[in-house]
Amino acid sequence: MAGREAVKRAVQQVRPILSVDREEARKRALNLYKAWYRQIPYIVMDYDIPMTVEQCRDKLREEFVKHRNVTDIRVIDMLVIKGQMELKESVEIWKQKGHIMRYWKESQDPKPTDFLSKFIQGVN
Amino acid sequence: MAALIRNLGARAAVAALSAKHVVPAAGSTALRMASTTPVEPKKADKPTVRQPDAVARSHLSDFGRYVAECLPKYVQKVQLTAGDELEVLIAPEGVVPVLQFLKDHHQAQFTNLVDIAGVDVPCRKNRFEVVYNLLSLRYNSRIRVKTYTDELTPLDSACEVHKAANWYEREIWDMYGVFFANHPDLRRILTDYGFEGHPQRRDFPLSGYVELRYDDEKKRVVCEPLELAQEFRKFDLSAPWEQFPNFRNANPPAEVVPPQAPAKK
Repeated sequence: MAGREAVKRAVQQVRPILSVDREEARKRALNLYKAWYRQIPYIVMDYDIPMTVEQCRDKLREEFVKHRNVTDIRVIDMLVIKGQMELKESVEIWKQKGHIMRYWKESQDPKPTDFLSKFIQGVN
Repeated sequence: MAALIRNLGARAAVAALSAKHVVPAAGSTALRMASTTPVEPKKADKPTVRQPDAVARSHLSDFGRYVAECLPKYVQKVQLTAGDELEVLIAPEGVVPVLQFLKDHHQAQFTNLVDIAGVDVPCRKNRFEVVYNLLSLRYNSRIRVKTYTDELTPLDSACEVHKAANWYEREIWDMYGVFFANHPDLRRILTDYGFEGHPQRRDFPLSGYVELRYDDEKKRVVCEPLELAQEFRKFDLSAPWEQFPNFRNANPPAEVVPPQAPAKK
């Protein structure tokens, strides 16, 4: 495994986006998490969303855990950059209430999994 | 039934008629064959095909050669497209030096950045092309600088050379997801807040992934995933016949300018 990584690194010399090693990328992700975490009470207050701070923090954790298997440093950096942009949009109140509530996907019904509910909804 | 038989009889009669007419029509088919032979290039007064000026062409290719000689590290290829449009194809790390050279060189003075465009060709290894269109007011000429990148490789921002690059690069970032390093204010410009994905990429469906509607109960706009009617479809748009016979003798799409000028006699 390590040998294969070494070969890959030797073959593909790429330009880093921000971070040069995993530790730096991890620090950036953690910093982004902390920034969001501290901003959540203000987001709840400013946007007047019908969610508690705890629910928002659960959602924040969920959004980060969704990408836990990403190992490419450049992909991590790109995700961190996009998260940072979203944080800025939230902080500056460029977004609106609907944009914040979009994270919860409230109006979507979960897809049916068992036979009977699929049959009732008329999907395969 | 009787009507059907009558109909068949009529069709047979028509077939016989046309068969009878084939023999005298041989001359007309020959005429049609003759009409598809290539048009003589002496008809240069066609308004649909612009013939480039030979002097302007030689000036452009000389200038392209000069740029390639001055910046051998970055310039990979110089070509003339559509007859008289100069294109300089550069390596992605040379965006700032090449644009700075073209802006500050006394014989170039390409001080106006007209546009930055993006091209997505998913089959390539570096799938995105970024095209800088420059204008020199001093010499009344244009040049196109092309470079390439992929989804994760950052390009250097041209903002330090041209202030106009700011919003153009934001547009490229928004539409294609090409990241520009050292950009002063890189964020979305055309898509809505909360929009995910880059809509000008070829793998982004025309309908998008989500749709918005106003929810009367919640009193706000909600976002729902879209059910795509079909997963993927490959359209074969090539036709067996020639579509633009007028443009058969048009300028070639791209001619490479060789690095050394042909020896003067």
